[in-house]
Amino acid sequence: MSGPGIGWYLIVAALLFGTGALGVMLRRSPLIVLLSLELMLNAANLTLIAFARQHGSLDGQVFALAVMAVAAAEVAIGLGLIVAMARRGLPLDVDQASSLRG
Amino acid sequence: MVAGAWFCLLAPLAGALAITLAGERISRRQAGLVSTLTTFAAFGGALVAFVAMWAREGAEREQLSTAYTWLAAGDFEVGLQILVDPLSAVMMLVVSGVGGLIVWYSLGYMAGDDEERRYFAYMSLFVFSMLLLVEAGNLLLLLVGWGLVGLASYLLIGFWHHRPEAVAAAKKAFVMNAIGDATFALGLVLLVWQARTLELPAVLEEADGLSGTIVTLVALGLLGGALAKSAQLPLHTWLPDAMEGPTPVSALIHAATMVTAGVYLLVRAHPIFEAAPDVQHLAAGLGAATLLLAGLVALVQWDIKRVIAYSTMSQIGYMFLAAGIGAYGFAIFHLVTHAFFKALLFLAAGVVIHHLAGEQDIRRMGGLRAALPRTHVAFLVGTAALVGLPPLAGFWSKDAILASALASGGALGWTLFSAGLLGALLTGAYAFRLYYAVFRGPPAEVTPEPHGPEAAHEPAHGEGPLSMLVPVGALTVLSTLGGLLSVPGVWHPFTHWVSETAEALVEPSTGEDYLTSLAAVTLGLAGLWLARRAFVSGRQLVTSPGAWRALEHKLYFDELYDALFYRPAAALAGALRREVEEPVVERSLDELGAGTLELGGGVARVQSGLLRTYALAVALAVFVLVLVFVAVR
Repeated sequence: MSGPGIGWYLIVAALLFGTGALGVMLRRSPLIVLLSLELMLNAANLTLIAFARQHGSLDGQVFALAVMAVAAAEVAIGLGLIVAMARRGLPLDVDQASSLRG
Repeated sequence: MVAGAWFCLLAPLAGALAITLAGERISRRQAGLVSTLTTFAAFGGALVAFVAMWAREGAEREQLSTAYTWLAAGDFEVGLQILVDPLSAVMMLVVSGVGGLIVWYSLGYMAGDDEERRYFAYMSLFVFSMLLLVEAGNLLLLLVGWGLVGLASYLLIGFWHHRPEAVAAAKKAFVMNAIGDATFALGLVLLVWQARTLELPAVLEEADGLSGTIVTLVALGLLGGALAKSAQLPLHTWLPDAMEGPTPVSALIHAATMVTAGVYLLVRAHPIFEAAPDVQHLAAGLGAATLLLAGLVALVQWDIKRVIAYSTMSQIGYMFLAAGIGAYGFAIFHLVTHAFFKALLFLAAGVVIHHLAGEQDIRRMGGLRAALPRTHVAFLVGTAALVGLPPLAGFWSKDAILASALASGGALGWTLFSAGLLGALLTGAYAFRLYYAVFRGPPAEVTPEPHGPEAAHEPAHGEGPLSMLVPVGALTVLSTLGGLLSVPGVWHPFTHWVSETAEALVEPSTGEDYLTSLAAVTLGLAGLWLARRAFVSGRQLVTSPGAWRALEHKLYFDELYDALFYRPAAALAGALRREVEEPVVERSLDELGAGTLELGGGVARVQSGLLRTYALAVALAVFVLVLVFVAVR
């Protein structure tokens, strides 16, 4: 086992997660919100892989693959929604899209 | 024997089901024919059973037949079973025979009514229920029949349901009977607990082995049922109101059969009452009180059917008196002759009502002898049989009861005897008052406008169609000859027949019989003379205005029960509604609803739809959770 210790990985992951969370909470563009979500998911992936390496087990890496699949699906749907919103001329602002009515 | 009895029981049920299921596919007249024919078929079955029983001897005559076990709990079993014995055979013959005649009469009487099919279905249901009651092989099944006749009576009293009076009368009859049914059921519960069986011959043999308190309670329970069903004091107030039903219903249910079920029960369960002699004497005393009270009230009534209804109560009082002193054969004998002459009186009164387009007030009747000669003869025979003039049916049976009271002796016997004799005087007075008012004197004008409860019938039918005349004629013959089944000093086939089921406790000597007859007939004729004198002089039988008012109010029993039971119960219910229901129950529920709504409104405000607020909330929640986990660890 070489390279930086587990702590560094966790710090990077925490920073990534914090950035993502702040992006979700502070930005109003749905596109940026979606990107921030991806950041948070990947921060989680990073911790999973880091721990998997430390423990010498493949479980965490397999789980990271599953998270990526979920993330891909989520992005596909999310982007689809955003495109649909744009096509209908709705404002691309999560604060204004506050009701389920179209 | 058993097959005949089963057929007798099931034929009217089949009739009721057929009419109900066929609905409008058969005409109204066909429905009536189905009902009449199945009732007469039941009579045929009863005859077959009776003849087969005649050919047997002694214990062979009693047979219990079980179709299947209906309830089983441990060693306690109740089956769908019938008991065929001399007593039930007599009852089967009376119920199906008189019932058949009355249903046949209904064909003419009810013609033109809007709901004849319903009427005939109810009538068949009643005949089935009554047969179930008298044939029941265990007391639970007897209670089933007991309840079903109450139901049929309720349905038929309220048959003209567009009349509020009829509906109220039906409800009153049902409620009063429910009291009796409840005490009856409580008695049965005690029997199940103590005797561990309800099967008929067996449970009666157990009666001697029960403790005195238990058997007294059981007897009281059964007596309560009998008092309510037979309209005896103090549960008698429903019967006069029950006259709101069609006249054939009054004849069948409220004169000939159902109201005598109490007498049947007293005789059927006589070992239980003999084990509790106080209760048995109570039954006799209440019977005597009822016969006097009903006789007095009948003196002042104006409604032709109500007079006959009070006379029914009075005559059943005689039967209770007889069953109470142990003259079971004579009680049943009077039941049978009473079924003949009281059904006759009601059916003849029905012809009169029919003729007058629904008029029931005897003040607007009179002089009908010319218009209705045959009905006049029938009514006169019925009246004379009711009063007990020889040689008609009532003479033999009523005098035998009075002679038994005399023979039983003691203070009780003498009291009952005197009450019975006084009752004979009253009977003569009220029965002939009715006869004179309806048939003698100047002819009354027939009211041009049909009115009253039976207004549906067209006026001026004369004596009605053949289907009405033939049953009246048959009952006239039966009322004339029916008493010859038991002639003192000559032969007693009827009482011997019944004594195989219920051995009489008293047996009057022939001397007592003739002495009693002399006294009773003299008093009956004295009553006739009083009624005639009052009629000729145009006065009433009761001249004191105070007494008149008291009797017109039926001695204030309705008012008393109203004050004793209805008002306190209604006041209690009203108070509970005002003090508990509204402030506690309703208010608390209202508050609960309003509170929930308010809470929901508050929570709904959180759901703003702002995505970033949600994300913040989630993040904060996670932060708090992390803090909690760290702190707990």
